[in-house]
Amino acid sequence: MQLGKRRTFLAAVLGMVLIAPAVIAADIGPLPALKYDEAKAELGKRLFFDPRLSGNAGISCASCHVPENGFGSPTALSKGYPGSGNFRNAPTLINTAYKKIWLHDGRIGTNLDDLTREMITEDYIMNMDMRLMQERLKQDPVYVRMFKEAGYGEPSNGKVRKAIPEYLKSLTSRNVPFDNGTMSTAARRGMKLFTGKAGCVRCHDGPLFTDQKPHNTGVPENFDLFLDPMNHQAFLAFAMFQGIENYMNLKRDPGYYNVTLDKADMGKFITPTLRELKYTAPYMHNGMLETLEDVVAFYNAGGGADSNKSPLLKPLGLSKEERSDLVAFLLSLSGDPLTGEQYVWKEPYPEEYEAVTNWKEVRN
Amino acid sequence: MFGSETVDTRSVSRGMGGRKGVLGCWFLFAALMTGWGAGCANQAGGAMAAGAKAEASGPPPLAPLGPPPIPPDNKQTPEKIELGKLLFFDARLGGDASTGCSTCHEPAQGWAWAEDFSRGYPGTVHWRNSQTIINAAYYPRNFWAGSVPSLEEQARSAARGAVAGNGENDIMEARLALIPEYVERFRKVFGTEWPLIRDAWRAIAAYERTLVQTDTPLDRYLRGDESALTEQQLRGKKLFEGKAGCIRCHNGAMATDFDYYNTGVPPNRRWEEDGLAQITFRFEQYVKGQTEEGYRTAKSDWGFYYRTKNRWDKGKFRTPSLRYTMYTAPYMHNGVFYTLEEVVDFYDRGGMDEEGRTTPFPENKSKLIKPLGLTDEEKEDLLAFLEAFSGEEIIVEAPELPEYAPRFTRQELMEAKK
Repeated sequence: MQLGKRRTFLAAVLGMVLIAPAVIAADIGPLPALKYDEAKAELGKRLFFDPRLSGNAGISCASCHVPENGFGSPTALSKGYPGSGNFRNAPTLINTAYKKIWLHDGRIGTNLDDLTREMITEDYIMNMDMRLMQERLKQDPVYVRMFKEAGYGEPSNGKVRKAIPEYLKSLTSRNVPFDNGTMSTAARRGMKLFTGKAGCVRCHDGPLFTDQKPHNTGVPENFDLFLDPMNHQAFLAFAMFQGIENYMNLKRDPGYYNVTLDKADMGKFITPTLRELKYTAPYMHNGMLETLEDVVAFYNAGGGADSNKSPLLKPLGLSKEERSDLVAFLLSLSGDPLTGEQYVWKEPYPEEYEAVTNWKEVRN
Repeated sequence: MFGSETVDTRSVSRGMGGRKGVLGCWFLFAALMTGWGAGCANQAGGAMAAGAKAEASGPPPLAPLGPPPIPPDNKQTPEKIELGKLLFFDARLGGDASTGCSTCHEPAQGWAWAEDFSRGYPGTVHWRNSQTIINAAYYPRNFWAGSVPSLEEQARSAARGAVAGNGENDIMEARLALIPEYVERFRKVFGTEWPLIRDAWRAIAAYERTLVQTDTPLDRYLRGDESALTEQQLRGKKLFEGKAGCIRCHNGAMATDFDYYNTGVPPNRRWEEDGLAQITFRFEQYVKGQTEEGYRTAKSDWGFYYRTKNRWDKGKFRTPSLRYTMYTAPYMHNGVFYTLEEVVDFYDRGGMDEEGRTTPFPENKSKLIKPLGLTDEEKEDLLAFLEAFSGEEIIVEAPELPEYAPRFTRQELMEAKK
């Protein structure tokens, strides 16, 4: 609390006197508009929903990033690639194009191109050899046309990694009460708590409501990660590949430790955005909290139990009414569902690959 | 390449029991030709040498098959073989846990797959014919173009290829670690705390070295049982070694010289008609390191070329064994012939099918392949003799596989310090 007050004071002074825009950027507020190329995004949309982008043609990006669920996973742990499970909750992709760091452990801090590659090729996610993927796409005349129309030439891996990010730019919050200034009175009271007594804004700041930094809030482990060997094997494969030592004996998700291999980062996860929470239950990196009421109660109690827990977390002493106001505010950060045709590819994909009829005559 | 081949050939000749002198020289020569002469034993520069070789000593005779060579760094033990058998049949050694070794090497289909192209990973089809596991242990190199030097490498390669097993090491190793019976068995056999994926390939290879057939009618005959072959088969043998000239390549105990030839096998037409097969075709050009121009223009499997990148190796494939062929239809690297009759007709025509189709690289076609002028009766004799290369069908029931179990109890997880 002390820290929060000091910071608010400092921000106020600096904001007024010195470098106003820089500090205001960290304040909560509406998101700037994102420009994107329609043809490229349309192609990216078809790719996003196409199961042929996975090794066995069984799952698409949308299998875990479900539109009705705010492009996040409806199950606590994502379902992952057939034959294995997964060990985290797929986060929302709405507004993901604004982010600077991706995945709960923050292991990708470059761009959506790299993120797309990671998701498609990882063996416990989509397990796709992208060289084969490229040839699948070249076999579909619709893709051949769409790549061309998007100015990408013939279908290629590199352009898939451009088109999907372009589509992701189209997934942004629409008609959000907070942005429109149409919040309920309860939500307005909640906002005061958010920036004041509850101190949420210390991590959930900026237009995305996240500092995009790692914190350990003591979220309990999801034991299903370990008790279900399907999930555990995906976790082991991940830990093995990432070079985490002693992975066979790990009984917790190491989070950001994976990036730094510094024990001080054990159990830290990147602050998630609070936008579109209305659709993205269950919550936290492992889906351990089912409702926003649970999340608020969790922080009201000062977070969970962890020796490495952030010192920012203390019991908040919020009344029942205050907790409900805070939930109202959180819900006011969600906009219209992005489930219409503008966002979701609804046309069927061909059941079989058409043969190139004059195969012997044409160049491959 | 040269180094590993000489090691392999030495062990093969040891395995052939009593023929070390003759065969050892032959194999060493073949290895030299393959390694340094870039597989041109029957081509341009190598033609004279090959001719001289054949005239000086003739091809090695057919011989009974001894025990398979065992690599000194992967000795056979009953426990390892038993583990290898389980792993051979365990589809969890593949990307989505649906496609293991036995999926494409199905015991009831001749330990192969009874279609022209092997079935592939779900969502794909392969592009070559699945070869039988029976006697695979004797090949100094495996796969149709000999791209790997051992069964261990073959298992690894097949389990990982995108149109085969599509498995990655880490997920497969993680699965093994969560199957307590495997953890125990790997510990006993390999002495590791947790299973290592490379040891899985070693165990599978050890199991495959038990899948051999050394008591065919031909073996019995060559060991002195003159009643093992019928009169007709004996006539066929004479043709095989004489007029038909099969023995020029199909010689020695394995009925193969382990060398690479273009015999004129035409491309599989499926590539002209099947979209899924076209995908895999281009993918293979890509992954095998084709040039851009090669990728754009290839319309057939270039075979041994992918290893040597010499144009005179286009369309060459390793001579397959004739053993166990009664059970391994269809035939050839791309499964274009569904019966041995078709195969015999193909060679009788001098390496073309009934429509006159042949290799797109006629310039590389082996000079050994010429019209044979066999009569119908001679063809039947030859076919009868080919049957003598196969014994009883080897059928193995898929074993019951051990199950996953959680690594920790809920209690242990609850007590974990955070």
